[in-house]
Amino acid sequence: MAILEVNELDSGYGEVQVLWQTTLKLEEGQLTSLVGGNGVGKTTLLHTVMGLTRAWRGSIRFEGREIIHLAPHIKADMGLVLVPEGRQLFTDMSVAENLEMGASPRRAKPYYERNLKRVYEMFPRLYERREQRAGTLSGGEQQMLAVGRGIMAEPKILMIDELSLGLAPVLMLQLFETLRQLKTLGITLLLVEQNVQMALAISDYTYVISEGRIKLQGPSWEVAKNPHVQTAYLGLS
Amino acid sequence: MENLSFLIDGLLLGFVYGVAAMGLTLIWGVMNVINLAHGPIIALGSFGVYLLFSRLGMNPYLALIFTGAAGLLLGIVIYWIAINRVIEAPHLSSLLATFSVNMVIIGLGTAAFSTTPRNIDYSLGSLTFNTITIPISRIIAAVASIIFTAVLYLFLYRTTLGKYVRAVANNRAAAELMGIPSRRILALSFGLGSTLAALAGGLIATIFPFTILSGGVYELKSFVIGVLGGLGNPLGALIGGLALGLLEGIIPAFLPVTWVPVLEFALFVLILLFRPTGLFGVKK
Repeated sequence: MAILEVNELDSGYGEVQVLWQTTLKLEEGQLTSLVGGNGVGKTTLLHTVMGLTRAWRGSIRFEGREIIHLAPHIKADMGLVLVPEGRQLFTDMSVAENLEMGASPRRAKPYYERNLKRVYEMFPRLYERREQRAGTLSGGEQQMLAVGRGIMAEPKILMIDELSLGLAPVLMLQLFETLRQLKTLGITLLLVEQNVQMALAISDYTYVISEGRIKLQGPSWEVAKNPHVQTAYLGLS
Repeated sequence: MENLSFLIDGLLLGFVYGVAAMGLTLIWGVMNVINLAHGPIIALGSFGVYLLFSRLGMNPYLALIFTGAAGLLLGIVIYWIAINRVIEAPHLSSLLATFSVNMVIIGLGTAAFSTTPRNIDYSLGSLTFNTITIPISRIIAAVASIIFTAVLYLFLYRTTLGKYVRAVANNRAAAELMGIPSRRILALSFGLGSTLAALAGGLIATIFPFTILSGGVYELKSFVIGVLGGLGNPLGALIGGLALGLLEGIIPAFLPVTWVPVLEFALFVLILLFRPTGLFGVKK
């Protein structure tokens, strides 16, 4: 059953329309990826789903309920959580405080200790640096913290914007491995990536977005064989 | 030795200036709003303590607690009526909004209380060491200011709600994404800033006579202190308050007292020119 259904969504900034009738579904417990080049509307789609950017038309249903007009904090309370592009950490606060803030949704409170243990086990570096100010962490550590903060929110759906951007390959592989672990915990995942190859390799289902429209979709292994995808995104000819 | 008395007087008063400035700088730091209604709220704090004392015969320091609570409510109400609708708008809009609140409070206050100076007729006497005399009301005001600062810090760093305030100040969109209702936190922050203003006003009323207009002076001092200590930095505000208080204690030893505001604003301009993040400001 689809846990999130985005239907014919239009959105943009001011007069500029960015998303055109975007339709996308997330199946419960699956890892879905959304891939495409720079500036094609991936982040806008996530922001519109969360309510940071206002939707113009269409519908967004979460567990069957229309949520298009709800404020972001209410969506987070319901279990729809975004790890935003550029990490967006609370840079003046400590690592531990950032994780504590992640656990703000009411539904996350009973699982606080369990999730904290989980995050520190996944990312021992964060445990070592728990008293350090988040702004002083390295780029990779900041990305771990951003993901960790998302896990603290006890998400039903965790959406991650540009997980691999600017990360060293070893770190990138470690974070992708984390996604697999999260999937086994039953969290539905939406991964937004410019690294198409990695996204196709790890996800169950893939959407390809271009110029604000979904151009292609299917099981990831099928999308990976598509000749257009091979030439445009994978550098194969 | 008389100069030393002035110095101590100034220093003790500086703590109260610090509390007033902390309110201004808290609101700026959390929501990037320059609160031009700060002065009138300080004056309302003075009247709060005055009315509870003169009408109900309440001890002024007990009245201070009620006045602070009223300041919290008032600030939250002002936020929802005047600030919330312009919080996403450019700075000029929120500046005009708080200026309107300023005019409304001064207008209503003048109608209700006139502009005849009031004072709280409650003396605790003075302490005398050799030739130095210190009014006890000033000592209590300084101690109370230190307590308010400590409570503010405990709140911001030790409670979940206080951490929400810091999270919203740091990155409002991220706070919202993490399930923190950011507008309610902004309302609370505006309330806290107003509480500090009202508390400072209440303490001032135990030291000086006041009218509904006298908050303006302290608002201006709060700006100077805020810039001195770095806007958005509460502890910097307290230290800045002490610096300004000291300055006010020292200047009259060398120059006529009318020069005090001139020098304060010269300092203000110099800091803006050469160290705009404040003497203790954090670089952003």
